[in-house]
Amino acid sequence: MFLSSLIDGIATGSLYALIALGPSLIYGLLRVLDIANAAGLTLGAYVGLKVWRATGSLALGIVAGIAASAVFGLGLQRLLYRPILNRGPLIPLIASIGTFIAMEEAFRLVFGPYPFAFPAKLGLPTLRFGHTVITGVHLVILIVGLLVLGLTWFALRRTRLGLYWRATSQDMATAEAMGINTRGVVAAIFVIGYALAAVSGILLGINYNTVYPTMGDIPAYKMLAIIVLGGLGNPLGTIAAAMLIGLVETFVVMYAGYVLPRDAIAFIVLIVILLARPQGLLGRSRKAA
Amino acid sequence: MKGESLLSVSGLGAGYGKIQVLRDVSLEVAEGEFTAIVGANGAGKTTLLTCLMGLLRPTAGSATFRGRSLFDLSAHRRVELGIGYIPEGRRVFAELSVEENLRVTATRRPRGAAAGEREVLERIYGHFPRLAERRNQAAGSLSGGEQQMLAFGRALALEPSVLIADEISLGLAPIVVDRLFELLGELHRAGTTIILAEQNARLALEAAQTAYVLEAGRVILRGPARELGADPKVVDAYLQHL
Repeated sequence: MFLSSLIDGIATGSLYALIALGPSLIYGLLRVLDIANAAGLTLGAYVGLKVWRATGSLALGIVAGIAASAVFGLGLQRLLYRPILNRGPLIPLIASIGTFIAMEEAFRLVFGPYPFAFPAKLGLPTLRFGHTVITGVHLVILIVGLLVLGLTWFALRRTRLGLYWRATSQDMATAEAMGINTRGVVAAIFVIGYALAAVSGILLGINYNTVYPTMGDIPAYKMLAIIVLGGLGNPLGTIAAAMLIGLVETFVVMYAGYVLPRDAIAFIVLIVILLARPQGLLGRSRKAA
Repeated sequence: MKGESLLSVSGLGAGYGKIQVLRDVSLEVAEGEFTAIVGANGAGKTTLLTCLMGLLRPTAGSATFRGRSLFDLSAHRRVELGIGYIPEGRRVFAELSVEENLRVTATRRPRGAAAGEREVLERIYGHFPRLAERRNQAAGSLSGGEQQMLAFGRALALEPSVLIADEISLGLAPIVVDRLFELLGELHRAGTTIILAEQNARLALEAAQTAYVLEAGRVILRGPARELGADPKVVDAYLQHL
């Protein structure tokens, strides 16, 4: 039981980390909470599903979903965020929420209001060790999640883009004056952030066997809680917070039952931790300018 | 001593919002020349340099650098032309390690640069042994003097042909200031063009060949640095209190 829950919790945490990582990287650069990222998640799921249905190839579906979401994200950055970024933090945030709502209505109009099933086989068997059961879908989420998270850590610490992301997120003007093409860094991070959203959307769709217009709602507000909990602008903190929330949710449901809605737990954890650490788990302390 | 004109600025105006800081500033810098820009606090020295670097959009005027129009280029494109920058207030990347700060610019050198990245970093550690000792430490944990060395080293890691330096002596111990100015002299002798804004006018006028005196956003005097350093008007206005 315990081991099952542990693996379940880590799988859930990996999925949350995939969802929250893109917006966390984007926040680091632009100081904007990119709620519309959750629309990239739904778009990725729909496009992935449709292409998988049409071609029978899940790989093709994933690639198409990633491409659609990345193009959407890049367009959003160019056409929505860039013109309004210097108007203070609230205007981009409201524009982002508005875009998210508009996109949900667009999904309803284009794909219809009813949920679609997404019964794709991921090709991994259900594993059993005694009482411990891991479904194939959870196994895939676990593998993809940990792989992407490991790659992210590696990219941030060991690649040029990671170095430039960290420099730009600390001081964009100085980064530009040191020769970094900061617009290029922002564009690359939007592509990566929306690609991650598409992968999360497809995994969510397959995991719950359903794709519907408002499937981004819960990810949108949970990612908000996770980013704040991890410390704004700190991707490694975001991963830690995602794991924490995934595990706490799973264990509370396991041992306490449905004493409160599962999706409320993220915010309770958020409130409790922020009372003790207002800067979040791995947040930058205020004195470091 | 004067080579061909490298940077030519004419009629530059700039400001922040409705506040006009620079008015009709013109500047000629020759290849390999060491130019000092002196003036009181608030005269517009930093504003001038941020316009040259591309961090502030001028409201008037034009500039050519090696025959190309400079003001059309974003800052990172100017860095590609070989312009290194030491910003006012150091502006090191506090959460990056010392070495990562240096790698930011070392990786922005043109492809096919003669020296490898490692070689460039070791050369900078040679100039500043303190940075070598602290290479894995977060830049934000360094002392003010060490941070200024890092800001200097970060500009050098670009192997710039032109170095724009803004107030490198501010708030530093004399021994550190001496070291930094010594290094400016070495770079100049090795052929680097230097544009230095400095509140410490005596120091700047001793080191530079040509100087501009800014007052309230205008160039009020220009000439050979040594002559300006001996000019009673300049001495009265800028050197007496030092």
